[in-house]
Amino acid sequence: MASQPTSRPEAILPPRSEVGVIGWLHANLFSSLLNSVLTLVSGALLLLGLWFGLKWIFFAADWTVISELGGRFLLGRYNTEAACDGQNCFWRPQAALIMVSVLLGAAWGLRSNQVARTIAWLVAGVSAAFAFLPYSLETMGLDVRILLLLNLPAVPLGWALARYTPLGTGTRITILGVAIFFITLILMRGLPGLPFLQPVSVVYWGGLSLNLILAVGGITLSLPIGISLALGRRSNLPVVKVLCIFFIEVFRGVPLITLLFMSQTLVPLAFPEDMPQNSLFRAAVVITLFSSAYMAENIRGGLQALHPGQAEAARALGLPGWQTTLLISLPQAIRNVIPAIVGQFIGLFKDTSLVYIIGMLDVVAIGRSFIQSNPEFLPSARELFVFLAAVFWIFTYGMSYVSGKVEDYLGVGIR
Amino acid sequence: MVSAPRILTYQGIPVWRHVQIIQWAVQIMSGIVVVALVVWFFSNMVGAIQDRDIPSGFSFLSREYQTPIGEHFLPYDSSDTFLYALMVGITNTAIVAVAGVFLATALGIFIGVSRLSTNWIVSKLAMVYIEFFRNVPLLVQLFFWFYIVLELPGIRESVVVADAFYLSNRGFSMPWPTPTDYTVALIWLGLAAIAIVAGALVYRRQARMEEQTGRSGYPLIYSFATAIVIGAITWLVLSFATGNSPFDISVPEPQGRFGNIVGGFTARAGLMVLLTGLVMYTASFIAEIVRAGIQSVGRGQTEAARALGLSPMNTLRNVTFPQALRVIIPPLISQFLNLTKNSSLGGAVAYSDLTNIAVTMTQTAPAVSIFMLIMASYLAMSLTWSLIGNIYNRRIRFVGG
Repeated sequence: MASQPTSRPEAILPPRSEVGVIGWLHANLFSSLLNSVLTLVSGALLLLGLWFGLKWIFFAADWTVISELGGRFLLGRYNTEAACDGQNCFWRPQAALIMVSVLLGAAWGLRSNQVARTIAWLVAGVSAAFAFLPYSLETMGLDVRILLLLNLPAVPLGWALARYTPLGTGTRITILGVAIFFITLILMRGLPGLPFLQPVSVVYWGGLSLNLILAVGGITLSLPIGISLALGRRSNLPVVKVLCIFFIEVFRGVPLITLLFMSQTLVPLAFPEDMPQNSLFRAAVVITLFSSAYMAENIRGGLQALHPGQAEAARALGLPGWQTTLLISLPQAIRNVIPAIVGQFIGLFKDTSLVYIIGMLDVVAIGRSFIQSNPEFLPSARELFVFLAAVFWIFTYGMSYVSGKVEDYLGVGIR
Repeated sequence: MVSAPRILTYQGIPVWRHVQIIQWAVQIMSGIVVVALVVWFFSNMVGAIQDRDIPSGFSFLSREYQTPIGEHFLPYDSSDTFLYALMVGITNTAIVAVAGVFLATALGIFIGVSRLSTNWIVSKLAMVYIEFFRNVPLLVQLFFWFYIVLELPGIRESVVVADAFYLSNRGFSMPWPTPTDYTVALIWLGLAAIAIVAGALVYRRQARMEEQTGRSGYPLIYSFATAIVIGAITWLVLSFATGNSPFDISVPEPQGRFGNIVGGFTARAGLMVLLTGLVMYTASFIAEIVRAGIQSVGRGQTEAARALGLSPMNTLRNVTFPQALRVIIPPLISQFLNLTKNSSLGGAVAYSDLTNIAVTMTQTAPAVSIFMLIMASYLAMSLTWSLIGNIYNRRIRFVGG
């Protein structure tokens, strides 16, 4: 039986100015005279900014330019008569989107993870919400709306696939993801000979989907290429080392815009004339290689920061060189530079907007060309670019948020 | 029953498992593959150039360019040569790069330090700035500023401050020193350089005195005073000797029916937009670098400085920041490089930077040669930044233990 202490010395409570709301205010806003002045000035600025910003967003701004552009933001000129002669191509990107929802659902099912679930439902939910946009049925048909709504059941379908079928292993889901990427490309591009998959030239690809395709392809490939380049640069084989250094420094020394432009004027000359040429493919390769060069330097930084004792211990335990690298050095190096790697992914996503230089109409270029060809919307340019900034921000901030979660999961900085 | 003893003789590692042989084979093979690829590309290119009659070589450099350049800081005329036009482009890029680097560093340090402020509002405001500008593509930001500048009042209704600063949708004008006589101006600039060197020497002397004796030597005040006094005296002497001062302040002034602004220095709309966009964008990255650098300095350093009675400002300036610089400088230099390369987006907002001029040139000149020249130019600029960074880095490197 635990005995209650009958008497204890009177505990002195902390002064009221140190605890609770007042304590917080005192510690964070009014700890000194200078701090108080700073608080008042910046607070006033903040309130002014909020007041004018919100007033502009809700009352002054004219957002019709966004609704006017509508689907073109997402697909560019893909779903037009010129792109898809005598046929409806709208279902092809929609089907790709549904597959992505299935994949996200499967990723959630694989690791019943809070973040994965949120992302899956967010993507599907936003896509489904587009089905209720207040456009007339002529501009946005019922078929489009139904396909968009199908994203909602797609998530549980993917979840169930991962849970109750043999598909539910990490490797298989990854293979599924790669397969879905290529199926998306084939769906968008079309296959000659198939009546319902009429080829659509890449010049009609555009909008946010173009940015996303370039970013997803670039991100998946730039990491392995970057790792190989980093290992090559650190290897003790002089020829390999020199080649890697040359590649990295050339790609890092020149602006991406210049490289993209070069890919359109010079690269075609370097291949035989009768080889099939695709400007978008060349641009994607250039963006990927450019990003790989930066990635290589990030990973090299991680490898250099690693204590040599790790590799030495692995060798002492009898692991051969390649296993030491793959199982000991690389995982630790990559874990330590996750922020830099994700920063590079974000940079790559932002850089996809540079394809305007080769005449592709990505989400930024399509907005800009719309403003230029419709001068009556010139005063709405501000609204348009604020909207575009918000769209990019959601994706890039989401990426850095997920990276933070991954770091927590891997215990970076803790163990 | 004793079987004949087996004699083990060492026969050496088989060739296919000999590490050095494998390594050399890999190297020779990769070398051969790369050389073969390069030869193949090159022969294809030469073939294409011959078949399609594409011009090549560098003889175009001495031809007249005959294309106007929107904004140029060197005097330029359409009858100037390609080579000179490229020089104009390099100057344009260099000016944006240098001005942008200075402004972005100042803004970035300010925001990075604000991010670490103990004041909650200030720190959160800095965070919002960083998270916003870092995560939105530069191109979107540039277009945003482009249309903001377009909506500024026209040149005749310019916003005027103190009759000397003019802001309109054509650009921003401000007073600027202009040399009255080039020889005098050059002589004075030379003397001013000597004054700065003298100031630096005084700084070093006073600082050493302070270190050795512990008495305040006021190195900053003394060195500035020395430099300013020498500069002023030479200015006065030159003015009296030649009859006019080395530099005049030229104030911008609207002239004529269209209100065109004459005199002073005018940053035209393109430069203004590009500089604003680049500075705001790069500052957000620099702020993060500064924050990480300051946080990398051990807490004990700050605590010890505070315990010794240094004010928070003094702690930051004399204890934390100098140590943080070692961590800050290398990534900062790579941000300078990024800013220089990002200035190639100038073409999107009507600023004639090097890339923009070069891309226009490819219409009338061989693309291969032009790209070689651009790559060399950007490489030279990158190397310059790296060199400056390395020299500075060596000076502030951790010495001793």
